[in-house]
Amino acid sequence: MEPLINYFIVSAALLCVGIYGLIAKRNAIRLLFAVEIIINAAIINFVAFARYHDTPLITGQTFSLFAIALAATEAAVGLAIIVQAFRLNNDIDVLELKKLRG
Amino acid sequence: MDTPLVVLIVLTSVAVTSPLYEMVFGKKSLKYVQYLTTLSLLVSLILLISSTLSLTPQESTVPHLLRNDTLGSFFSLMVILVTLFVSITSFDYMKGNSNERIYYSLLLFTAIGMTMLSFAVDLLVMFVAWELMSLPTFILAGYNKQDKLSNEAAVKFFILGALSSGILLYGISIMFGITGSTNLDVISQSLTSLSPDMLPFVIFSTISILAGLGLKLSIVPFHMWIPDTYEGSPTTVSALLSAATKKAGFAAAIRIFVVIFPLFYFDLSLALSIVALVTMTLGNLAALTQKSITRMLAYSSIAQAGYLLIGIVVLPYTDLGLTGLLYHSFNHAILQASAFLAVALVRLKTSSSSLDSYNGLSKIMPITSFCLALSLLGLAGIPPLNGFWSKLILFAAAVDGGYTWLALAGLVNSAISVAYYLLVIKRMYMDETSIKAIKEPFMFISILVFASAIIIVTGLLPNVIYDIAEDITISFLANNPV
Repeated sequence: MEPLINYFIVSAALLCVGIYGLIAKRNAIRLLFAVEIIINAAIINFVAFARYHDTPLITGQTFSLFAIALAATEAAVGLAIIVQAFRLNNDIDVLELKKLRG
Repeated sequence: MDTPLVVLIVLTSVAVTSPLYEMVFGKKSLKYVQYLTTLSLLVSLILLISSTLSLTPQESTVPHLLRNDTLGSFFSLMVILVTLFVSITSFDYMKGNSNERIYYSLLLFTAIGMTMLSFAVDLLVMFVAWELMSLPTFILAGYNKQDKLSNEAAVKFFILGALSSGILLYGISIMFGITGSTNLDVISQSLTSLSPDMLPFVIFSTISILAGLGLKLSIVPFHMWIPDTYEGSPTTVSALLSAATKKAGFAAAIRIFVVIFPLFYFDLSLALSIVALVTMTLGNLAALTQKSITRMLAYSSIAQAGYLLIGIVVLPYTDLGLTGLLYHSFNHAILQASAFLAVALVRLKTSSSSLDSYNGLSKIMPITSFCLALSLLGLAGIPPLNGFWSKLILFAAAVDGGYTWLALAGLVNSAISVAYYLLVIKRMYMDETSIKAIKEPFMFISILVFASAIIIVTGLLPNVIYDIAEDITISFLANNPV
């Protein structure tokens, strides 16, 4: 069996990819991807930690199922908002959204 | 009675069915939806008040997921009260919107999420409640679909809100890996017998959880979305966001930090105190320069989050910290809801939220101006209004816990904040206007007057809420020693 640290490295790498995407990208859909990648990094953690615990745990898998469902809901809500943004502005570049300024 | 489950069932039954009434009742359904929403919130409110006042609540049917304690009842009482205010004022504010029925359903879903979050003692339930609270508010923020500003507010709110739940989930996953459980009691036990080489992971997890929560609590540096979202979204929704969802976030933060603090409380407390200082200073200084009243209230809401954070900073040192936090949360919820709803009424009638439209407002909308002035004075902490007493307790807690400099900084900040609050009152009462008097809708005004009555009564009789907060603190800390 692979050592636990390998799974953790993958998940940490995914977290970094997600955060990089949030910082560097301007397209709203890509930002949505980046957030989903962060959630998936956490899901990998849950499953790996539950599998490698001294006594086998079901909590990790349960939590990851909940997280998958919630991530899907979040994507649905987010896409609805972004589609409406595209209809109004013909653009989903988040840096172009600057009507609200102090 | 098992209050959390009963409240959740009452609210869910209305929230799930109310969008369907249109098919059965046709045009009349809107009235039914509004009445049912109000009724279900009122029933929950009465249940929660009785459960807050009874000091020995019955054990919940699912004690490892939702704990039926007075802390949870107190916070959900607060959020349900604010949701009730928001839903009644929305009768007028949302009139004519094509999807009005869904609006009330979404309000109720937010209320369900916030109630769950106040009672949750399991990280899984907490995360589900967090999402249940956040997702409807994303939609509510962009509710005026054809309005570009509302949509922009929703996009910004959604991206940062989704990031917050992602980071929160990652922090929870690390905490689960370290302790092998998601129940806060089990986590607390396994953390006390933790090997020291795991400490970096605990710190990483704590920072992630703090960042995730911080985005909702509007703590600097996670505050950037607040002014934009509060300005762009419908103002009743801003009231909900600022007065209710933030308080529910603080309930979760209290439950998590009570568990985490004993591990390395010295460093964490100091770090949080610096965050509190930066939050209140930045909020107050930025509020001084705003041209729009919603942005000003948004920055003032950030500053108030800084004051509230003092309560968490001194949690390990003195019981007064938690008491002050509970007390100020209640007062801030009422004051902020009242201020934002008054602004909503002005925006509804004059379709503007710039400070210039407040010139001479006392002559055209006298009751609204009075309620707004009262809540602004309360937020500034002018005695004898309720905001003064709770700030006093918080600063006293800071001194008691050995953070005298934080109390001083808070005092200086309160002094700064008086400037911009008084500026609005000066505009309303001293300046002239050419607009004719505007009729103020009855439901809206009655809510504002009711909120003002709470502000004055709890200000003149400060020990009512204070005693409740103190009892809650004692019973909470007896079960969760810090």
